[in-house]
Amino acid sequence: MESGEATEERTGSLSAAQRRAEIRRRKLLINSEVRMNRIVGFAKNESENNAGASRRPTEPHFHLDLDRTELWSSPSSSPRPSPFLPEALRVRQRPRGELASDDPSSSPRRGLQKYLSHFDNAMKLRGQLDNEKPAQDGGSDSEEFDPFRIFRLIGSILLAVFVRVFVCRYLSIFAPFLTLELAYMGLSKYFPKVEKKTKTTVLTAALLLSGIPAEVINRSMDTYRRMGDVFADLCIYFFTFILSHEILLLIGSETP
Amino acid sequence: EDKNMAAGCAWFLVLGSVFLCSLMKTLLPTISSFLSKMVQKDAEQESEMRAEIQEMKKEQSSISMMDEFARYARLERKINKMTDKLKTHVKSRTAQQAKMKWVVNIVFYILQAALMISLIWKYYSDPVTVVPSRWIAPVERLVAFPTGVAGGVGITCWLVVCNKVVTLCLHAVS
Repeated sequence: MESGEATEERTGSLSAAQRRAEIRRRKLLINSEVRMNRIVGFAKNESENNAGASRRPTEPHFHLDLDRTELWSSPSSSPRPSPFLPEALRVRQRPRGELASDDPSSSPRRGLQKYLSHFDNAMKLRGQLDNEKPAQDGGSDSEEFDPFRIFRLIGSILLAVFVRVFVCRYLSIFAPFLTLELAYMGLSKYFPKVEKKTKTTVLTAALLLSGIPAEVINRSMDTYRRMGDVFADLCIYFFTFILSHEILLLIGSETP
Repeated sequence: EDKNMAAGCAWFLVLGSVFLCSLMKTLLPTISSFLSKMVQKDAEQESEMRAEIQEMKKEQSSISMMDEFARYARLERKINKMTDKLKTHVKSRTAQQAKMKWVVNIVFYILQAALMISLIWKYYSDPVTVVPSRWIAPVERLVAFPTGVAGGVGITCWLVVCNKVVTLCLHAVS
């Protein structure tokens, strides 16, 4: 009988111990959020004020790689954890689509995560810039002479001479040039495409970090490059035209 | 007739100036390294130090550390001292080269700016060449800027064109 009572007491004390352990565990779990915020420097009242702003739509995670074939990571996909994120945040990371309905301190953490991911990307871009700088210093200029480019320049020179000799009396010299450029647009597909690697410059890195999508940057740079090609053709054409005009004048003045 | 000749060669003068500037720009590293070699007084000292370090290292490799530790250690100290001295020397030479490069670049850009400003000043109201205005329609005003002469090619347009052409040609040649 006494052993039965002792067993009962022991079981009761165990369960009391278990209960106390359970209470301690719950207390630790509840206070962990506050502790984390204190560690990372967010005050509790700031988190309460920002609780209303925490219901923001998910933002796209911008891509480092400027390669066009790379797809955008969708907002619903879970982001790659940054090496700079503290362990506790990484372990407790949730998909971005989830609303923190029961977590008033989630918005500072999300802000911190966003900041750390930006920082991570900035470090990677800096590494890329450092790697590309020796290649750029030792490599060729931005204007590379591929076959199509050489074809364009020679075509512009020949057209300028032809226009000066035969055409310029009848119409403006820029009309044949525009026709030539239109022809080049059509002919470009018959030439082997030279894959121009997008260089990571300070400008592209700054644009990436400011949130502009890499696809937009790629397209803008491609358009800028094409405009540069047309401008180069125009300069060669006009220069050749003026030069041939002056040579013809000189020959004309020298002949008796 | 001389005035006409001079006016007729204006386009060539601008072209020549732009070509000269671009050529000098490509030769800037060569010029700055040449000047820094001229200015540097103790150039042989560095190669002597290197040769001496090599000799000492060779001697050290022939010594057994166990048998002649004192001599080995003495050589090691000498090598370290000489290496530090060489490092200081190389550092100062590199700094001097960087300074010289900076000075040469600054001087070049000042001269280039002065040349361009003087060309623009000279041909501000005179076109470098004149063609019938209908040839360069509809952009004759833009081409003639800032002269305002109908059919004229202004200094700014010609400078831009020459700059681009010369850059392309020098790039093709190099």
